[in-house]
Amino acid sequence: MAVHQKRYVLVIDSRKCIDCKACVVACRAENSVPLGESRNWINEERRGEWPKLLAAFEPEQCHHCESPACVRVCPTGASYQRPDGIVAVNEAECVGCRYCIIACPFDARFFREDKGVVEKCDFCAHRVDCGELPACVETCPSKVRVFGDINDPSGKVRELLEKRRYRTRKPEAGTGPQIYYLL
Amino acid sequence: MKHPEWGYLIIVYLFLGGLSAGAFFVSALATLLQRNGDTPAYTRVARLGAMLAPWPVIIGSTLLIFDLGRWYHFWKLFMHFRWTSPMSIGSWLLIAFTLITLAYLWAWLSAEEREKAFFRLPRYLASLNRDFSAHRRQIALLGMPVSIGVGIYTGVLLGAVQSRPFWNTNLVAQMFLFSALSSGCAAVTLLLAFRRKDYDACSFQLLYTLDICLLALEFFIVVPYIVHGELSVQAVKDSLALILGGPFTVIFWLFFLGLGLLLPLVIEAFETLPAWMSQAGAVHYRTSVAAVTALLVLAGGFLLRYIFVFAGQMSAFR
Repeated sequence: MAVHQKRYVLVIDSRKCIDCKACVVACRAENSVPLGESRNWINEERRGEWPKLLAAFEPEQCHHCESPACVRVCPTGASYQRPDGIVAVNEAECVGCRYCIIACPFDARFFREDKGVVEKCDFCAHRVDCGELPACVETCPSKVRVFGDINDPSGKVRELLEKRRYRTRKPEAGTGPQIYYLL
Repeated sequence: MKHPEWGYLIIVYLFLGGLSAGAFFVSALATLLQRNGDTPAYTRVARLGAMLAPWPVIIGSTLLIFDLGRWYHFWKLFMHFRWTSPMSIGSWLLIAFTLITLAYLWAWLSAEEREKAFFRLPRYLASLNRDFSAHRRQIALLGMPVSIGVGIYTGVLLGAVQSRPFWNTNLVAQMFLFSALSSGCAAVTLLLAFRRKDYDACSFQLLYTLDICLLALEFFIVVPYIVHGELSVQAVKDSLALILGGPFTVIFWLFFLGLGLLLPLVIEAFETLPAWMSQAGAVHYRTSVAAVTALLVLAGGFLLRYIFVFAGQMSAFR
């Protein structure tokens, strides 16, 4: 087996999403996210009136961009990108200037008042490093989320992205978002 | 964004940092301009600018530190240099600029003033009481590019954020630079206007002329900023709606552009017109008019930063 550099991405089949918010709760429990803030959320689109109506849900979180604006603007290097693509914050180095929050096109970061630092989704790096799935992926009851290595030729992620059409959010911001929404 | 992350502390800092950069720039220019060989032509402007320059930037940087989530970790900014982060470049520029303005201030103090400053200090420090006054020109020359750097970086800080279409144009940096230099110029004018005893028409002539140039440059950056924005992609057009009918419309057009830029520009042009037209050169400038104009320019500079910091954070890709 050829050795390749891992690149973690998230594939989301939002049509399966039922807005149960289990992913939000699981993340909150796993990462001790304070109430009032959230590392992930579900966008809701509703329009029309019964019987001609639409209710669509689209889960979102940090897109772990290819060239993350948050990492570029960080003055101390606290925001960093791992070789496997995960974008994370090193709390020890963060001074709390909040430049990264402003620089993120997806508003995926928030300021944690109690610690004075910026916090965000890190794909549950502590779980991923042990071979487990991120909490939101593991808990999703309708199997909306597929997490994996896009460079693995035999992986589920690769298969989905080869067989299905997909889009990314706000590609025009130029950061190369790595959450793929299946159409 | 749900709520603005950067608020009044940042706005005041951007204003004060720019003001210092401008005051130093004006003072350095006045130091470098010489008449008949080696007599400085504008000693009063140079000295006032030198006395003023360090304080706003010191106050501003302090505000900046207290805006941090963990202000006691601010030293970590100086453990790294990241050239892709305007904030990192800016922090280092601020340190360099503050040191230069302090050295420059020292160079402009008279022997008695320096004596007074050392009077309360322990005696063994007295050897530090060096006379820099011969090096004013060198410090001015060294500090000038740094002051321009500080003035422009405040605009780059905002302009380099690709996710905020209101900021992310190539004109914001220059807009902030000329606004910064102009507010420094206005601050020196204001100090000069309050010192009626040693009224000096030459100094007013210099400051007015300089400020007319700076305000005109700023105006001709604001205009293409809006025109280009309107001719740009949808996200930029949407963000400009914030000042074209949106919540910042009145404050931008009436208070910033009208009262803070065009009105002082007209007053200054009107005041200096007789001097440009006549050969005599003995034109009297009204200090009260100078003070009011300077206050308008300062208010305009502050409002520009207020509008940009808040409107920018409200703009986003949809």
